[in-house]
Amino acid sequence: MVEKLNAIGAGALKDVSAASTLEAIEQIRISVLGKKGALSEVLKTLGSVSAQERPVIGAAANEWKRKIEAALDERKSVLEKAQLDEQLKSERIDVSLPSRLPHRGSLHPVTQTFRRINQIFSRLGFDTATGPEVETEFLNFEAANIPADHPARDMQDTFFMGPGVVLRTHTTAVQMRAMRSQKWPVRILSPGAVYRSDSDATHSPMFHQVEGLWVDRDVKMSDLKGTLLFFAREMFGPEARIRLRPSYFPFVEPGAEVDVSCFLCRAKPSDSCRVCKGTGWLEILGAGMVHPRLFETAGYGDDYRKLGLSGFAFGMGVERIAMLLHGIPDLRLMFQSDVRFLKQF
Amino acid sequence: MRISWKWLSEMVDLGKLAGPQALADLLTSRGLEVESIEPQSRGLEKVITAQILEKSQHPQADRLSVCMVTIGSGEPVQIVCGAQNMKAGDKVALAQPGANLPNGLKIEVSKIRGVQSNGMLCSEEELKFAEISDGILILPADAGLGVPLANTLGKDDVILTLKLTANRGDCLSHWGIAREVAAALSVQPKRPDVKLLDFTKTSPVAIELKAGDAAPQFFGCLIEGVRIGPSPDWLVKRLEALGSRSINNVVDASNLLMLELGHPTHAYDADKIHGNLIGVRAAREGEELPLLDGQTATLNGTELVIYDGERAVGLAGVMGGGNSEVAASTTRVFLECAEFDPVRVRRAAFRHQRRTEAAIRFEKGIDPGALPYVTSRLAQLITSLGGGKVVGAGAAIQPVRREPAGRKIVVEPGFFESFLGMKVSSDKAESVLKGLDCSIQKGAREWTVTPPSYRLDIASREDLSEEIARSLGYDQIAETIPELSSAPTSVSSSPSLSRQVLTERAKDILMQSGLNETLNFAFTSKSWLSRFGMSSSATLLNPLSEEHEALVPSLIPGLVKNTLETWNRHFGSESPAIRLFEIRPAFRFNGDGEASIRALDELRTGVDERWRIAVALSGARFAGGLSNEQGQCDFYDLKAVMESLLTGLGVRGVRIQGLSSGRTHPDPDMQAFRELLHPGKSAEVLVGKDVAGYFGLLHPGKSRELKAQAPLWLAELSWDVLAQLARPATEARPFQRWSEFPPMERDFALLVSEEVTADKITQLALKAGKPLAKGARIFDIYRGSQVPQGMTSVAVRVIFYEESRSLQESETEAASARILEAWKKELGAELRS
Repeated sequence: MVEKLNAIGAGALKDVSAASTLEAIEQIRISVLGKKGALSEVLKTLGSVSAQERPVIGAAANEWKRKIEAALDERKSVLEKAQLDEQLKSERIDVSLPSRLPHRGSLHPVTQTFRRINQIFSRLGFDTATGPEVETEFLNFEAANIPADHPARDMQDTFFMGPGVVLRTHTTAVQMRAMRSQKWPVRILSPGAVYRSDSDATHSPMFHQVEGLWVDRDVKMSDLKGTLLFFAREMFGPEARIRLRPSYFPFVEPGAEVDVSCFLCRAKPSDSCRVCKGTGWLEILGAGMVHPRLFETAGYGDDYRKLGLSGFAFGMGVERIAMLLHGIPDLRLMFQSDVRFLKQF
Repeated sequence: MRISWKWLSEMVDLGKLAGPQALADLLTSRGLEVESIEPQSRGLEKVITAQILEKSQHPQADRLSVCMVTIGSGEPVQIVCGAQNMKAGDKVALAQPGANLPNGLKIEVSKIRGVQSNGMLCSEEELKFAEISDGILILPADAGLGVPLANTLGKDDVILTLKLTANRGDCLSHWGIAREVAAALSVQPKRPDVKLLDFTKTSPVAIELKAGDAAPQFFGCLIEGVRIGPSPDWLVKRLEALGSRSINNVVDASNLLMLELGHPTHAYDADKIHGNLIGVRAAREGEELPLLDGQTATLNGTELVIYDGERAVGLAGVMGGGNSEVAASTTRVFLECAEFDPVRVRRAAFRHQRRTEAAIRFEKGIDPGALPYVTSRLAQLITSLGGGKVVGAGAAIQPVRREPAGRKIVVEPGFFESFLGMKVSSDKAESVLKGLDCSIQKGAREWTVTPPSYRLDIASREDLSEEIARSLGYDQIAETIPELSSAPTSVSSSPSLSRQVLTERAKDILMQSGLNETLNFAFTSKSWLSRFGMSSSATLLNPLSEEHEALVPSLIPGLVKNTLETWNRHFGSESPAIRLFEIRPAFRFNGDGEASIRALDELRTGVDERWRIAVALSGARFAGGLSNEQGQCDFYDLKAVMESLLTGLGVRGVRIQGLSSGRTHPDPDMQAFRELLHPGKSAEVLVGKDVAGYFGLLHPGKSRELKAQAPLWLAELSWDVLAQLARPATEARPFQRWSEFPPMERDFALLVSEEVTADKITQLALKAGKPLAKGARIFDIYRGSQVPQGMTSVAVRVIFYEESRSLQESETEAASARILEAWKKELGAELRS
């Protein structure tokens, strides 16, 4: 009987090593190890065997069963691997086909530039304040020390909506509102859309400004300079320098035009610099010390002198800064809603 | 304003300056910005004097001649010339090869019709001496040869163009600039020596002032025996170099004086002044005045006029009258040198659209202390140019000017240092101020500073600080960071700051939905708005054009315009997807009926600014992918954007539902938008009972009318309303627990009427399945041949769980039964077999 087992076992192992498909493996498993398989059939006759032989035959049968199973498993995994390899050979995708890319959203460069400017000044303690775009002529002009029929009105071509109502030409009115309601100290940044009746490659009838105002006791012009230098370095890099030139804005005294050193050529002027056009400097800001008349129209009365109140103010065009930073050649692109433009930022 | 280097150097010693560039730098550093420096010789660098030796006919061209010219030394040069007006022996202007002429012409050696030409003989036009010229420039016979043309013609000046700020009217003259330069260089400026006339006598022409403080002074002077004629060459050249045109010697004298001293004056033909009387009064309404430029102005009564015994003879401060002007026959000249109210002059100049050089100076304020000198100087100029003799002078002065000019400023000298944040010793302050002609009276602690009469802009200690700062240099000011004397405003306590944070958050959310932020102008044309059934109640009185006449009542017309423009740009066969959003105010004027926009008080205009969020969506769902995979955006893509926005902002209590029929929005602009939408493919965003906005498909009729290339999905919501309901900027999003125990799911296939909306089914499931049913989702719908007409097959999955324990099968069964019962009862739903 042992011989019979040995013959079945050896035959099965031979069949296993010869099997070339998973079906053949399964077939062998059934024909040898199955309930009606060859090995089982032999073991069914175990009852006719003597008690002494029985354990010997049982052990031999189990040994063969283990061997055959191991052989089957091994052969099966070899065949499976071969089959997978075969399958993978035919499974190829073209990874260079376009992805199912979602649309990338974007924020307008004006918004992004606003955010950077706001962040810088908020670190110094400025609060952001907003106000209406349709403004009273009083707050836009008179309160800012630009009376009617004053030559300074020529500086800002104004859109009128009705008697005493204008589209604000600057965000100074927001500051006037803040001074009226907050008294002092006042530390505000007023970003927003402003309007002037002018339209060409460098002027837009609507554009955006950020103005700043700081009113407190004993504010000095050096505070203005230090604040703007901090801004310039945060915005344009640690090497940025600023230059103040005397100028005139009716709402400040002394007044200044503020230039920032070119962030591209680093104030080593070359005629080819696309940013500063070879001057080494960028005209970016207007600034100065708050004109005393603004304290008066804001309702501070004479107290500001007794209290030693003074202040500084500055203003800048947001589009101009955005254009410089991004290298945008034409202001009009900002308002044309061309997706080729908007998607870039 | 244009300044002549040569003329300026007659008034102030410029020896300390290296040249015009140094002068420009100095002026700019003091706040007088120099825009350009223009040597008169620019473009004339390689143009020299030459003489024609021989002129012969060009062998190939009838109209050309060939000239042999000499420059006094070396070989004669051959030049081909197209002009006819020259002959052998003439002195001419020769542009040598390499010359870059003022009109832009570059000169090179060339062959003209086969004959070599080694330069060009120039015309006045080519040299930009004249607008047009006939033939070439023939120089005087005594001109030297081989000399730069600029020297020969005296074009050796340098003209600086200044961009002056509105406060520095005192610098609108050479004398004004000379004073500034002298102060900067610590030298004395010198103006022409003039013997002052005696104005205390009775004027030979009686002078009246009948305009109160609006005309405080009038100085006059009569000159007889004047010969009107052309001005001498130097005067013509000087005027032309500074942008003025020569008229005759008397008018030129007055114009030169204005460029010299900054004070506009006027010369009348004294024989045309009727009644031997001249004066200043307000114009009469409807009064007509012939002006020097040949036109007649109709006055409205606000202007100041100069009048004689019978009529107005000049628009004061703006332009003289045509009825009293100096002509060739004039021999008696009366000079006017007056002071007028800047505002009255400015208004008159604007009203009559004549912003003359005189008006520009008067509106900025002239030196009220200089009239005697100016009048005497003018008389001196005229008598030297046209002969004649001063027969008398006089003046009328209002009480306001009899007082000495007195803007006394009291200041502690230490103020400058503490205000500017720079080192300013009191000695330094004193020397700067005195250098600027301020007088200083020193008290125990304070100074009383009186600025000179010409500095009308200095009125406060801050003004004095500016004078000191710009004199010492703004670069001397330190850089300090101001200290915070109080805490910054907290966002949680400031509705305005909180709103700003939310606005930025909304922009971020929309950007994350793959939308591109855009900015449109706040104004558009009325006709464009009318295409959308909208009208603006807030219009501009002075728009740049019709395109910019009306403030927008909605952001939708702008976004639709952007979309149409995008479609009309050339992108080949595939238009880009439209994915725009904008957060901006829409404008509405709230006047009733006939009311028009006006200031209600100092702070209010009556124009409302209603902030909106608007979205436009059209085209492919993905930026990448193959065409068959991309799909086109539809309602549910836009709904996704809306839901991301609302949940991202944590807006509470909003509901999206189909447009309720028969309902109109109280805001007419919102209602107009609602009517632009497809009634069945659009939704409203409900806040309680109010509608915060709408979104959906642009109405197919409107779409056709606008020639839209693809379905356009639009949304407009009131940001004012949503921001109110959004989770406050400083409030954190609360954590939501989930169950650690496995959920149980039941799927149902329902047959319901088409009228039943999906949200009814899911809401009812949650309600009836309480508390175990935690979620319900429609995962498939079907309409068609397998279900009866008018019915929809809906596949719903309901999810049951408890956070604290596993559910028993029986519990879910019971809940499911309740749900089915509710669906049957309330929606008429049946379970599909």
